Amino acid sequence: MRMSRAFGKRASVTGMAGLAILTVAGITACGDGTSAAGNSAGGTSGDVTISVYVGADTLDAQAQKDLFDKTLIPAFEKQNPGIKVKWSTYASSSEENTSLQTAVTTHQGPDVFEVGTTLVPTVFSTHAFHVLTNADWNAVGGKSKFFAPQLTMSGPSANKDVAIPEYMLPFALVYNKKLFKEAGIASPPTTWTEFVNDAKKLTDAGKDQWGTEIDPADSYDPWKINWGYTRQDGGDFLSHDLKTATLDSQPSVNALTFWFDWMTKYHIASPNDVTYKSTDAIKAFENGHVAMLVMQGPTLIPSLNQSAVKSDYAFAPLPTVPYGMSARPTGGVPAQTIVSGQDLAIPNYVTGAKYAAALKWIQFVTDPTQQKEFYDVYGYLPVNQSVYGQYKELQTPLIQSFVDAEKNASPTPFTGAWGNLEVVYAGVTNKIADEIATNSFQEGDIAQLLKVANTQVQASLQN
Amino acid sequence: MNHSEAVPDETIDLQVIQSVHRRRRMAHKRNRVPLWMLIPAVVLLVIVVVAPFLVSIYTSFTKLDQYTIANWTAAPFVGLKNYLSALHQGNALGASALQSVWVSVAFSVLTTLIITPIGIIAALLVHHPFRGRRWVRALFLLPYVMPVFVNAITWRLLFMNGWGVIDRVLAFLHIASKNTFWLIGPNSFWAMTIADVWSSWPFIYLMVLAGLQNIPGDLYESATIDGASRVRSFFSITLPMLRPILALALLLSTLNHFNNFTLPFMMFGTPPSPQADVLPLNVYVTSFQTFNFGLGAAMSMLTLILMMIPAFFYIRMLRLGEATS
Repeated sequence: MRMSRAFGKRASVTGMAGLAILTVAGITACGDGTSAAGNSAGGTSGDVTISVYVGADTLDAQAQKDLFDKTLIPAFEKQNPGIKVKWSTYASSSEENTSLQTAVTTHQGPDVFEVGTTLVPTVFSTHAFHVLTNADWNAVGGKSKFFAPQLTMSGPSANKDVAIPEYMLPFALVYNKKLFKEAGIASPPTTWTEFVNDAKKLTDAGKDQWGTEIDPADSYDPWKINWGYTRQDGGDFLSHDLKTATLDSQPSVNALTFWFDWMTKYHIASPNDVTYKSTDAIKAFENGHVAMLVMQGPTLIPSLNQSAVKSDYAFAPLPTVPYGMSARPTGGVPAQTIVSGQDLAIPNYVTGAKYAAALKWIQFVTDPTQQKEFYDVYGYLPVNQSVYGQYKELQTPLIQSFVDAEKNASPTPFTGAWGNLEVVYAGVTNKIADEIATNSFQEGDIAQLLKVANTQVQASLQN
Repeated sequence: MNHSEAVPDETIDLQVIQSVHRRRRMAHKRNRVPLWMLIPAVVLLVIVVVAPFLVSIYTSFTKLDQYTIANWTAAPFVGLKNYLSALHQGNALGASALQSVWVSVAFSVLTTLIITPIGIIAALLVHHPFRGRRWVRALFLLPYVMPVFVNAITWRLLFMNGWGVIDRVLAFLHIASKNTFWLIGPNSFWAMTIADVWSSWPFIYLMVLAGLQNIPGDLYESATIDGASRVRSFFSITLPMLRPILALALLLSTLNHFNNFTLPFMMFGTPPSPQADVLPLNVYVTSFQTFNFGLGAAMSMLTLILMMIPAFFYIRMLRLGEATS
């Protein structure tokens, strides 16, 4: 009886331990989905499977699926026998962030990350991505094949690059030609003074027609627009050595004040804009309620071509002279657009044959044929310089305006705290909009809030 | 007198006691097997709940951010700094953790208070058979089965100032201006509450409907014979009989609303107005958008401590244990 009980106890303990191990093993296996699936999908032994993680095309998901499944991946796998490619997408910048954080923490996940240019400094600051050697650059076709401004966001310096440009999305001013003609305006503005004057002519509040818009509820547009204006005014959000936050500097305060003045002082933007996100502003433009949209890139084209203004829109470079000035002040730069677009980066956990395969994929998607495919499907502008000479469709005035804007693109400060700055800045614009909506906005509030924001950003800088 | 008759009462009592003890021991022995079979669930709980919880406690004392995330175990220890920052009022980003706690508490309690009578009335309406009842029942479930993000986007469009349907209707009825802002400022809290009430009242309705089906019909018959009115029957029979399930529904509803993330995230974007900056959204923005994981963890810990106090009294007050058993 005693022996039997002891045996029973041992059996129970063994059973418990076994179950525990099986459970843990099961969970571990579940957690390692990417690599397990990746290895099994290869087919023959010796095959390498890489997984690429890209932003979802929210306008036409089927077109993106067809592009990857029917065009890109079959062509790549034919060119590179032994390499298999899987792909998945993220639907928003929030998902992009979360996936990146998970991969960096767990050291597993996608083998190639598509990341926005302004997220590259954060990617670099994690120290979890491969710093590219000369051999790596050569493997993807050499630096010379890319537009030089795009390379400025690849790393903090030429020998510390972590990201390879994939395509570019320079910003510009999109305007309604029909409304311009009706208002007797011959050409788009080149200074912010002209911009305000033109917008006044274009505004007819009774018809719910506005010269321009603001979208303070958007997470990204406000800082992009106001950082560009701040640079034109000779300022920046951070000092050149990236050690001091300067969000509370006069040019920065001027920029945000000027932006909200479009609504509160010049009345060229609808009072309803205080709750607008980027998509709301675009919709208002497409419905003919807004005459000038600021900071919109070529990705807008497919949507515009299906809208009520499909034959009335045009793009122009953004003004580069601050309001009330005839020329830029000392230190001002003609920042027409941030260096914008998508880059590709490879995490440190990708090594050996997988790393080589990942570089081959990057070389493939940045080669002319594939770059043209991206343009055809998404409207993404190629970063490969040679593409523009090879295809007539890319030699139009519209494309040229974006290429010109790209030449005057200004890189945002390369700091790991830039992501924090973006979110904090969105908090400021949201709070100001909140005050305007509730009639509690007072002069000096912008400076005060930017001062608080500056303290927060300063705390996130790595000194 | 035979031998058995000679056995004293004390001996019989002892035998009975021994028999009872033996049965208890056997029952206890029988119960041992199911208990150890809980081990996989316990292991899962440890991995899914306890381990991340311990990691969160550890993280809340560190400066875990984008610079240290790749090697998070080596993140610098900062003591209580994150906790102090979490309670600090007036940052530029949004509401402080403390303010967000109150927003979440107000939101969850208010929505639960509003949806409870709606759910009860709806359940009473469709409890008794009538022609087309199943269609009405299906219709009542519509808001609940609609994905939260669809609900949020729809309400965002409805609440748009100037051209949103809500503003137009209010202006038409001369109740408010066409330019009433709902997605920003203090009204954002009410917009969020209205949207949530619309989508979540069927939860109470479902729970109450299930509870109503368990009330014996003869209770009502007796009450009718005794001359009780329908109102009296409702307050003296229906509500008391619903008490256990209603208590559970209220508790679950409050907790669900407290943890609602998707609705404000989709309706307002990030960061939202401080008045609609519910705690889950605040923690998310702090942790995952600004990469300040230490501060985010500290905010979560503070919430947990604060929520444990009312939760403890709430469960005791409603005697949830009795209700569920």
